[in-house]
Amino acid sequence: MREAAFYLAGAGAVFFSLLMLFQRGLYAAAACLLGALLQTGALLYLAGSPLVGFLQVVICSGGVMTLVVVAVVSAPRKAGAGGDPAMWAAGSVPRPLAAGVVLFLAAEAALAAAGAMSSAGASGALDARVGAVLFGPYALATEAAALLLFLAALALVSGREREAR
Amino acid sequence: MNPALQVGLALFFLGLACLALRGRLLVMLLGLELMAAGSVVILTWQAGVFGDPAGLAAVVLILAVAAAEAVVGLCLILRLHHAGRSGDAESLTALRE
Repeated sequence: MREAAFYLAGAGAVFFSLLMLFQRGLYAAAACLLGALLQTGALLYLAGSPLVGFLQVVICSGGVMTLVVVAVVSAPRKAGAGGDPAMWAAGSVPRPLAAGVVLFLAAEAALAAAGAMSSAGASGALDARVGAVLFGPYALATEAAALLLFLAALALVSGREREAR
Repeated sequence: MNPALQVGLALFFLGLACLALRGRLLVMLLGLELMAAGSVVILTWQAGVFGDPAGLAAVVLILAVAAAEAVVGLCLILRLHHAGRSGDAESLTALRE
């Protein structure tokens, strides 16, 4: 069950990535990337690491996609300033494709749930040791990554303030 | 080849194709995210196979760096748009001149 769900999630991630490659509009490309990243989160969960799957969903699928949507919404739509107006069009998804995606996700969730129930307690054993590694031998790299995130947040805030002036 | 390696490589090369074939800066940034996701899948699978938590620690650091890169990239792209310049990578030739 778990293996079948893994293959389904992998196929879903590749499908959404291919869709993203051929999208012209930014909204549609961002939505396809969201689908691919959510499928990747499911893959990581099924690979035996629920913590990393959760982080992938929260950080990439949540935070990054929010930033992308804010960027797409706040960018100018005029042809002179923002380029091709079709790029900013919301676009629409054909109903059969949307229904197929929903059915696919439901089947994958059912398989993943069945697999998780059959192997409860087996996964996540490695996750418990990640904290000790992060703040042990890799403490310097962890601090550097935290500093990088802090500087990125500062760059965002200072950029907004400069624009406001 | 194990399934995680296949999926990870597929995601990585689709992200690379997005980066190489698309001219829009924002879509190129999305391609970079896809490449990071592909490498994360492979690293997580290998960490599970070898039972090594250092692999998962590397994954957590990659996620943090990818998030920081997305923030800085989007900030730069937004500033370009607000300055009235196109979001095409080909229009940014200041360093070439």
